[in-house]
Amino acid sequence: MTVAPDPNQPPKIVVRGLTKRFRRGNEEFTALDPVDLDVAQGELVCLLGPSGCGKSTLLNLLAGFDEASGGTVHIDGEAVRTPDPRRVFVFQEYGIFPWATVRENIALGLRRRSESERHEIVERYIDLVGLRGFENSYPGEISGGMKQRVAVARALAVSPEVVFMDEPFGALDSLTRLSMRQELRRIWQLERLTIVLVTHDVDEALQLADRVVVMTSRPGRIAATIPVGLEHPREPLSPAYGTLRKQLFGLLGVVDGV
Amino acid sequence: MSTPALVTAVVAAAVIIASRGLRQRAQAVVLPIFTGILLFAVWHLLAQASWYELAMPGQPVRTIERFPTPGRVLPAFAELASDGRIFRYMIASLFRVATGFGLAALVGIPLGLYAGWSTRGGYAIDPYIAALRPISPIAWIPISVLAFGIKDEAAIFIIFMGAFFPIVTGAATAVRSMPIAYSRAAHNFGLRKWELLRFVVLPAAMPQIITSLRIALGIGWLVVVAAEMTAINSGLGFLVVDARNMGMRYDLVVAGMLVIGAIGVGLDWLVRRLERLDSVRWGFSKE
Ligand SMILES: Nc1ncnc2c1ncn2[C@@H]1O[C@H](COP(=O)(O)OP(=O)(O)OP(=O)(O)O)[C@@H](O)[C@H]1O
Ligand SMILES: [Mg+2]
Repeated sequence: MTVAPDPNQPPKIVVRGLTKRFRRGNEEFTALDPVDLDVAQGELVCLLGPSGCGKSTLLNLLAGFDEASGGTVHIDGEAVRTPDPRRVFVFQEYGIFPWATVRENIALGLRRRSESERHEIVERYIDLVGLRGFENSYPGEISGGMKQRVAVARALAVSPEVVFMDEPFGALDSLTRLSMRQELRRIWQLERLTIVLVTHDVDEALQLADRVVVMTSRPGRIAATIPVGLEHPREPLSPAYGTLRKQLFGLLGVVDGV
Repeated sequence: MSTPALVTAVVAAAVIIASRGLRQRAQAVVLPIFTGILLFAVWHLLAQASWYELAMPGQPVRTIERFPTPGRVLPAFAELASDGRIFRYMIASLFRVATGFGLAALVGIPLGLYAGWSTRGGYAIDPYIAALRPISPIAWIPISVLAFGIKDEAAIFIIFMGAFFPIVTGAATAVRSMPIAYSRAAHNFGLRKWELLRFVVLPAAMPQIITSLRIALGIGWLVVVAAEMTAINSGLGFLVVDARNMGMRYDLVVAGMLVIGAIGVGLDWLVRRLERLDSVRWGFSKE
């Protein structure tokens, strides 16, 4: 099931002319050349590109962590200036707090809920991401994949509308990564989220995305936006998949990806 | 001296070689006991070598014991314990360290967190911390005595000066080295200023704060002895100088030194227990 962007509904996220320059000593470095991007409600978009092309920079701007040098980001018609619990960020590493238990981490965004409501939500998400039995463990005592689940559960527990993920599975081994992808899709369909996910893994993008936004570097900009109209589960050996894969590798400047 | 020294050296070599065959658990017990015996043996031999005979005309020959051997120090403990002096002095020294150190932590932790968290706070405070820190706490003794007299407060102030700077610097550095993802996550999930401080900044800094407390307490204990040697007339430091000044009782001097060392080990052990708390253990693991 792929959510086709509804033409009657305005896009959830609207990015126009977004730029970011960093100062390096006396030089100005353009990390992001003007970028335009629309993301529909309920869409899962992957930002794909080589290291240093500005994926994290773009995502940080979308989340309101950083200030743009020019251009605008609107979510639901509202300009993004600061971080907000309605749109949460899942960090690659260090995102969850090592001094707090799994349960306390997941409850981070629920401070202003009632005790019973908080309890109910936390327990639900512990089950949803399969962490039952580890609620009272500390992050140092669980595996990398489980830590990433904690990060996902903590993000979903605040019922966000948009989730930003910066290489959420980058630190995981390939088997764990596969199962985390499947879980992410399951949860995404369950919760009807809008997700923008950064990756530099072509297959990850092809497995997950409704649309792949390909970025190139120097300066960082969007080279192409490729819709992935394949049914799930996506079969990597199918000809259509192979064609898309070739196309993406071509856009990234790699002749034949293996 | 050469024969017992030779025997000691041969036995030492033999024990070290033989211990290789033991399991690690056994080594952990045997080797420290062994080095202890070795140290006492060396001490005994060196001290005894300092003894000499004094023959005065018309008097029997006397042995002058310049440095005390371990065997002479043991009764000194008994002497100090029997009149209760050692306990009074221990309590006096510990009270001063606890007060000075406690005040330093009470002021130093919040100030360090502030200097580390607020850029403006850092600008305002950092240069003065940097300038005052290298001054040995001992150098504050004259000022402290002038301000407080030969009193507890003088020693407490000096200990405060010794413990304060490692704590402030430790807390500030801890906050500054906090990964940006922590504060971003806190903002993202809607934590307010005080919640951010209480639930993110403080716990993130806690392991480093504990390490700085450990260093500060060590310094406090070093400093209290020095302070009591000059600025006050009770406590273990006072015991050490007083035993020398009043009758050259070097056995009491050494007994006092050993007590100081043992309490230092105990204090360090206490602070290290903090490292095992669930909420800070992450900062002390090796991964
Ligand atoms: N705070 C900063 N100051 C200066 N330059 C920066 C800063 N942050 C990012 N850059 C530069 O901007 C460019 C884009 O960085 P960004 O982190 O967005 O890349 P990325 O696509 O996320 O790379 P990766 O896949 O390695 O994470 C890089 O050249 C980087 O060096
Ligand atoms: Mg990045």
